[in-house]
Amino acid sequence: MIPSLLLRFLLFSVLWWVLAEGRIDGWWLGAVAVVTATCVSVILMPPAVHRLRWGQIPSFVLFFLRNSVRGGFQVAMMALRGRAALQPGVLELQLNLPAGGPRVLMTNVIGLMPGTLSVELAEDRLRVHVLDERLPIEAEAGELEARISALFGVGR
Amino acid sequence: MTGFELPIAFFLLCNLIVALLAAARGPTAADRMLTALLFGSTGTGVLVLLAYGGAGQVLVDVALLLALLAAIGGIAFARRAWQRGRDD
Amino acid sequence: MIDILSAVLQIAGAFFYFAGTLGLLRFPDVYSRLHALAKADNLGLGCVLIGLALQAETLAGSLKLLLIWPLALAASAGVSYAIACRADSLGVAPWRKEKH
Repeated sequence: MIPSLLLRFLLFSVLWWVLAEGRIDGWWLGAVAVVTATCVSVILMPPAVHRLRWGQIPSFVLFFLRNSVRGGFQVAMMALRGRAALQPGVLELQLNLPAGGPRVLMTNVIGLMPGTLSVELAEDRLRVHVLDERLPIEAEAGELEARISALFGVGR
Repeated sequence: MTGFELPIAFFLLCNLIVALLAAARGPTAADRMLTALLFGSTGTGVLVLLAYGGAGQVLVDVALLLALLAAIGGIAFARRAWQRGRDD
Repeated sequence: MIDILSAVLQIAGAFFYFAGTLGLLRFPDVYSRLHALAKADNLGLGCVLIGLALQAETLAGSLKLLLIWPLALAASAGVSYAIACRADSLGVAPWRKEKH
């Protein structure tokens, strides 16, 4: 509890430093904001069972960047070609991730991956809308799932 | 400043105007909301470009705020405003 | 050198924004439009932000620009899920290509 509080406090302090562009003349306002933000974050999002593995973050971020660039590029090309490029459909994926943080992250991140958009998360089933059914959506979703498992250090 | 900021900001603005005109005839509430979201993301881009095109760093704060407001607006729309049978 | 890279990134950003708007106007239903908005537009914003961050004078200034991106990404991921979910629960059917 205490270490995660301290960590959040530090993160919010860095955030304030960035927002104030490195100036320190408004530090008292910053202090109030940082303490408030820490308290609110504990109320809204109590330290959870599934903790992030900090060492895994860089590789996850790289994976995410690579795929979101690919996804943006793909949808841009489809937009240039118009409706003819689309063959939309709805798929249902079975998630092997534990409830809470990992599933929510999966639901959100898959919306930024190539060709997929979450429509509904119900228990361990995630319905996604796909732009083109011919793409290998399930394999890519599986890889994302494996990355998220590694990020939270949960077995599958 | 590379000299590209202002032309690109102008280009994005033209983009946005075309999308707004299209949204005016948009059939459903959702189409108009999507244009509002487009306004958020394109507007954020235009503001940061203007900030670095010579208008000053203050606009970066405005851009940050616009991005936040677009998010809140989108969630509020999805959770509260979009009702069945109004115009769909 | 940095100026050239910055200009290239800005132009790439403008292209993705353009494609996002085009997708919004051309795609047939609310779901596929959300794809265009969530992916293409955010990539455009990312390119513009990185391009400008290269020019920032202070570290905090460029970090602040780069901070906008994850914020916009998180926001648009959440918003597009919320809208798609609502559309689905209101019974908006996804557009299907007619079989020939």
